[in-house]
Amino acid sequence: MTLAALQSLLPQILLALGSTAILLGGAWVRNRQLWLVVGAVIALLAAMTAAFVEPSQTDILGLYGATAYARFCTVFWSLTVAATLVMSSRYVELYRFGGGEYASLMLFAAAGMSLLSAATSFVGLFLGLEVLTLALYVLIAFRYADNRGAEAGMKYLIFGAVATAFLAFGIGLIYTATGTFDLQAAAAGLQLDSGIRPLGLAGWALLLVAVGFKISLVPFHLWTPDVYQGAPAPVGGLLATAAKGSVLAAFLPLVLMTGGNGEIVRILWFLAVITMLLGSLAALPQTNIKRMLAYSSVVHMGYLLIALITGSDAGSQALLFYLVIYCFATFGAFGIVTTLATTTNEIQDYDELRGLGALYPRRCALLAVFLLSLAGIPPLAGFFAKFGLFQAAFRAGYAELAVIGVVASILSVYYYLRPLIVLFTPEERVLPREAAGYPELTLLFFAAVVLILFGLYPAPLLSLVSVVLPVL
Amino acid sequence: MLATDFSILSLLLWLPVAGALVCLVTGSRAPSVPRWIALVTAVLVLVGALLLMLVHDRSGGWMLLEDRTWIEAFGIRYTLGLDGISLLLIVLTAFMQVMAVLVSWRQDKAPQVFFALLLVLETAVIGVLLALDLILFYLFWELMLIPMFFLIGIWGYERRFYAAVKFFLFTLVGSLCLLLAVIGLYLLHGAQTGVYTFALEALKQTELSAGQELLFFLCFMAAFAVKVPLFPFHSWLPDAHAEGPPAGSVDLAGLLLKTGVYGMIRFAFPLFPAAAQKFLPVLAVLALVGLFYAAWVAFSQLDIKRIVAYSSISHLGFVILGLAAWNQIAVEGSLLLMVNHAITTGGMFAAIAMIQLRTGTRDLNQLGGLWKSQPNLAAFFLLFSMASLGLPGLANFAGEILILIGVFSVKPLWALFAVGGILMSAVYTLRMVQGTLWGASCEPFDRRDLDAREWGILIPLALLVVLLGCYPQPLLDVLREPVSALLLTGGQP
Repeated sequence: MTLAALQSLLPQILLALGSTAILLGGAWVRNRQLWLVVGAVIALLAAMTAAFVEPSQTDILGLYGATAYARFCTVFWSLTVAATLVMSSRYVELYRFGGGEYASLMLFAAAGMSLLSAATSFVGLFLGLEVLTLALYVLIAFRYADNRGAEAGMKYLIFGAVATAFLAFGIGLIYTATGTFDLQAAAAGLQLDSGIRPLGLAGWALLLVAVGFKISLVPFHLWTPDVYQGAPAPVGGLLATAAKGSVLAAFLPLVLMTGGNGEIVRILWFLAVITMLLGSLAALPQTNIKRMLAYSSVVHMGYLLIALITGSDAGSQALLFYLVIYCFATFGAFGIVTTLATTTNEIQDYDELRGLGALYPRRCALLAVFLLSLAGIPPLAGFFAKFGLFQAAFRAGYAELAVIGVVASILSVYYYLRPLIVLFTPEERVLPREAAGYPELTLLFFAAVVLILFGLYPAPLLSLVSVVLPVL
Repeated sequence: MLATDFSILSLLLWLPVAGALVCLVTGSRAPSVPRWIALVTAVLVLVGALLLMLVHDRSGGWMLLEDRTWIEAFGIRYTLGLDGISLLLIVLTAFMQVMAVLVSWRQDKAPQVFFALLLVLETAVIGVLLALDLILFYLFWELMLIPMFFLIGIWGYERRFYAAVKFFLFTLVGSLCLLLAVIGLYLLHGAQTGVYTFALEALKQTELSAGQELLFFLCFMAAFAVKVPLFPFHSWLPDAHAEGPPAGSVDLAGLLLKTGVYGMIRFAFPLFPAAAQKFLPVLAVLALVGLFYAAWVAFSQLDIKRIVAYSSISHLGFVILGLAAWNQIAVEGSLLLMVNHAITTGGMFAAIAMIQLRTGTRDLNQLGGLWKSQPNLAAFFLLFSMASLGLPGLANFAGEILILIGVFSVKPLWALFAVGGILMSAVYTLRMVQGTLWGASCEPFDRRDLDAREWGILIPLALLVVLLGCYPQPLLDVLREPVSALLLTGGQP
């Protein structure tokens, strides 16, 4: 590995080294807040490095790329992790999360996510995904004493391990068929018409299963609600935003490279349709906000598949725009759940949410912004995100997907409005006021402002994502 | 036409939002401040709209136009335009908004949020009336939903969640049809000309096959018909009225329903004239069925708010019938009736709110004898009821007679049925008045008659009811040019 390659990989190295440093330091200084702050600073540094330090080469050992796309992803995931760390400051005290372990694992996850989105070969992709998943196994089970927490940890572990097996086997088959780990070459090899092609296709099918597990597409979504419900709220937020986003971001160039291969597009089409419809139907009867958000994330992944299927520049642009906006809104929603947590439990059930609007008017108003943006109601940014997506689908000749997406959006309004109405139902309740810290509130307020501003004037973000589109 | 960079329209449009922000900021400390801010903002908007009314020229075309780039990536522009129709409806909106603020003066549950939502709603309605870019229009169209949803869902009565969600889902389904059609039209136009734009004037030039045109037209009409609401898309309205707070009802009847009709004449008819012409008889039949059906249902209601809600559906059926006749007199009559209906129904809902405050009920079986205990309130209620059933000399009559004349000149049979509808409205209105004001006296726990604020609400409304009934000419003057321009672009039947 040359110095130039190291320099190009600097953000990821920063994240990994920082994570190790916190892990070691945490053994000596048991101060939760300190390590959260250090972790957030390191993640910010990594983001700034990725954004402003020009990498000396774009290809790193044939495993990773330092393209504009990869750098954009690194910046965004690092910032998400930094924000999640800030968000957790009250939460870690409440549930007495170790010392530095929490922040350290979060940074590991960030390194994994950024490697994953930067991968240019299957080996790099696998490594990135494993780094991310291993960190998540522990993060999800952080409240192991709680039954739900233990259940969530176990479920994610088993499903994750199975998905990894599928992925490894799929990569093996693709390698057998094409003789290369390079994504571009392997994708091109899919087009070849040789006797060994079925093997490659089987490999792609297994790969799709693994991706389906990770971003919870129907029918691979069954773990999602249980894990989201049991995982600590900030970790749930990370799972729903950056963890899913990074897998999708790694998958996007891969699909583009296959150049609209008929077989894969057909499978994706089918997955998108059932994900949107069944996800929506499953979300309707939920009475627990985290389970609802879990199904909502399933449905949103279905929307994003539409953009993936179009295979056009407009589609990729819509996908990235949507992903950013979705991450802001979902992060915000989980953030609110985080700030509402009490010493005994997280407030999740709608029955417990009843009447909280009077108690915490600001946070509940913010939650309204986040949920309405997820529903795609103008003038919030979720509207233009959906607009771009459906417009790209129309232009690429997938009008039926756009129509199904609109139907799913209509259904989604019901399950997003339900918690809001419950929150603002006037009810006399005597509850101890749980103050939220200023850093958390500022962050949530910022997310809401971003959603409103990009809803009114999305042009800057649109032009940003059009600059960083993956180049093949 | 004034200079295009003159931003008086934007000022008018965003003033309520500014007021809403001030409400939110100040309200948490001093609960009585937001209502004053809301009142001042609403009055300012009304004054601004009235000034525009005074200085406007009646030569037709856009009196004011504002056009800015907004989202170039999608070809979306920020285009606002004002003509006679939108001006009249904006004045109405501003006036009804002042009334809505006054009606909810005693709102003590989270007043800052309540008044902020009312003001945001006003911006949304004005935006709908001004927007000339289809996406901009759609944004405001959807923006109307959110404040109304929360107004019903939080400040409503017992079954408010059901009513709020029903309202939201009904209108959302309609508006998403609209969105799909808008995107489809945009892509077709872009494919034909190479220019991707959402500008109304440009999209009018799109060449469409008869099938496409009908499909798009129906999608547009789905959104507007739900909002009007046209039979059979009306079932959300009685619930929204019955469970919503008084100000919600005033705004719903006074502002939101009008936007549906406005959408038809501003967008659906001019964009798809051929399809519209083919569709007019269907529209007329739906309007007539709605007219009778709603009147019939109103007759069997016990909740007086529901009676007025169904009477709204019935009257809006009348308005749509006028549109379906598609001639100068009938369309002018429709627009006039729309304004009159907003004022009379607003007055009824305000009066009902005052009755409910004193008696604690809206049930016809329990109400009665208010003429004895609260003669002044009862008199106003009677006046609005009489206007609503179309008594000559009061507001609704002028619009109804114009519609009847216009319809008669095209399709005498339709007019004949419509007259029957007026008869039905007399039946249910008289039943309501009889059950509320006379008969066995109920025991109001608050025996006081009107206080100063309530006089302040009811007198302007009553004056307008009488004035517009006796001398509607000024309104018709404002409408003449835009309506004849509309009829030209829409094509004569």
